[in-house]
Amino acid sequence: MTESQLSHAAAAPGAIRLHPTRWIVDLLYYAVLIVLALVMLIPFAWMLSTSLKPTEYILSVTPQFIPNPATLDSYRTLFDLMPMQRMLGNSLFVAIAGAGGQVLVSAMAAYAFARIEWRGREIVFLLYLGTMMVPSQVTLIPLFILIRQLGWVNSYQGLILPGLFSAFGTFLLRQAFLSLPRDLEEAAFIDGANHLTIFWRIILPLTRPALATLAVLSFMQYWNAYLWPLFVARQEIFMTLPVGLAKLQGGPRALTQWNVVMAGAVVTVLPILIAYLFAQKWFVRSVTLSGIKG
Amino acid sequence: MLRKGLVTLLVVVMLAALVPASALAQDSVTIRYYNFSSDPDHVEDLQTIIDAFEAENPNITIEVSSAPFADYFTLLEADLVGGDAPDVFELNFENFVSYAANDVLLDLSPYVSTDAPYYPRALEAFQVDGAQYALPESFSTVLLFYNKDLFDQAGIDYPTAEWTWDDAMAAAQSIRALGDDVWGIYSPIQFWEFYKKAAQNNCAFFNADMTESTINSPECVTALETMVSFVNEDVMPDQTELAGVANEELFLQGKLGMDVIGIWQFAAFADAPFAWDIQLEPGAAQKAHHFFANGVAVSADSEHPEEAAAWAQFLTSSEIAATVRIDAGWELPAIDAPEYVAAYLEQTPPDNREAVFQALESPVTPPVIERQTEMQDDLNQLLTAAEMGELDPQSALDMAKEQIDGLLQ
Repeated sequence: MTESQLSHAAAAPGAIRLHPTRWIVDLLYYAVLIVLALVMLIPFAWMLSTSLKPTEYILSVTPQFIPNPATLDSYRTLFDLMPMQRMLGNSLFVAIAGAGGQVLVSAMAAYAFARIEWRGREIVFLLYLGTMMVPSQVTLIPLFILIRQLGWVNSYQGLILPGLFSAFGTFLLRQAFLSLPRDLEEAAFIDGANHLTIFWRIILPLTRPALATLAVLSFMQYWNAYLWPLFVARQEIFMTLPVGLAKLQGGPRALTQWNVVMAGAVVTVLPILIAYLFAQKWFVRSVTLSGIKG
Repeated sequence: MLRKGLVTLLVVVMLAALVPASALAQDSVTIRYYNFSSDPDHVEDLQTIIDAFEAENPNITIEVSSAPFADYFTLLEADLVGGDAPDVFELNFENFVSYAANDVLLDLSPYVSTDAPYYPRALEAFQVDGAQYALPESFSTVLLFYNKDLFDQAGIDYPTAEWTWDDAMAAAQSIRALGDDVWGIYSPIQFWEFYKKAAQNNCAFFNADMTESTINSPECVTALETMVSFVNEDVMPDQTELAGVANEELFLQGKLGMDVIGIWQFAAFADAPFAWDIQLEPGAAQKAHHFFANGVAVSADSEHPEEAAAWAQFLTSSEIAATVRIDAGWELPAIDAPEYVAAYLEQTPPDNREAVFQALESPVTPPVIERQTEMQDDLNQLLTAAEMGELDPQSALDMAKEQIDGLLQ
């Protein structure tokens, strides 16, 4: 029975007798939601719990949920083994600069595609969108060779620049720009404004929600990126958190200290969790607007 | 004032950048070394070895970079394709074979000193057609671990280096008789165990010119029959009887008499609540032991082959490299120099640590073909079917021959 059928039933004369049913349906509804929420949360709880365990308790036969004894040793080992502050700083810098840059580049491209008339615009736009169909693995090696010839291996520009040109971001913002009425900029043109002024003073302020959406998505994309930073950041001082984290896993025939790996995972997830708490509204909007979960 | 100072500083920096590096240090050479085995625990140990090398060779600087094992070979290939390979890099044995076949490795024969104390068989493993394409850096192997307490309870003698699988079967039956939940032996039935037991029985996977598989020869069938017989005689638990419990866990619980397992378990078994030791694996027609090895290779494109080879040799055979490895528990150097490994042999348990090095007398390396993964997957399925009694060894290997022949085409 759907929600609307239920409320119809509740309005009917027999409403009093139907109330218990309503109550039971609600209960079931929440029970299912709670179970689903637990399923989503358990891996995180397990990560946190393992990161607090002493080494010899990690793989105990009866799994322990509450670490006893709990210890911060794994965090100490983590910060001893890896320049974590540096990696955290790298991740933040790359994600913020990358997200900011991607929004700017996408917005400028979207403006050209949405607001300026030029010959061949539709075809160029279609071709540009078409690049979304090419899996990034295909372009990985050619792009890497290009970046290497530019001497950008082990550099921030090598980490950030290739991700700036996003067909998806351009598409998202173009749709937002198209929804603005033409009258606004025509009025501005009459007042003597040029494209730059219109872009900066009219279009951007009016499409802030779309810009914020893209910023959130691209921040997460840069923050979680693994393969590209792995190729470009060969020296520890340029590594982002996911790349550093992978180095904690031992090779074949070596023991992996899972508590240290989990401590690294906690440190990696924490900033994004905090960002989420403060920017929950934008995260939710980014999912509903784009249909993409980061 | 401040601005003037800054300008001066900038000018100095720019001038310094103009002076070629070679003018500062005469003939100084930088060798780039790329590896996976130092992460995450042995970064400092590697640095100790580098410092010692640089002290001996003041004109050579070693520049290290590393990657996690899972991605190491992707990155190495990208570097090779990009024409910017590191001078020296680590390779595990399985990858060594394909790299050597693709002409990207330098033949080190002219550079390697003849008195470097490598185990001859370990050195041979990294030769292809007489060319030394890599030097053995470290190795690991699989041995027979046994629970002394269970042997005492059953009143039987401990395994010896001369044991065959028949002796193992007799001991396993005596231990199995101790109780319903006590098992005699565990030796996995899969590709990695099979090619070793195949070697013990003189079974070859392929004919000499690699055009056809000979995996259903009588020798090979005997090898598989021996493996399966432990399940059939009910002295070894099969997959369903294990029910998800790892065999090393069963051993640690004191419910397994013998376990054929890797020496990397020493640390995990150190605190076992019973006495245990190791012995060479039982043999058949001959002995054969796993030789899981990492080698160090020099890029064929290296601009400084001599210096690169010197570093590769120092890293794999110098006393300091050997002792640092052993003190840090960073796998084992494949070096025939007891004085380098004395510290390792003194640690207990197990008492019989010499067996680890004795295993190097009979190393066996995996059969490698171009379509390796497919061969391993196909064979693993058939071996499992044989273990579960769905196929008898002869027909399982007949089918394996057919499939491998298809992969060799």
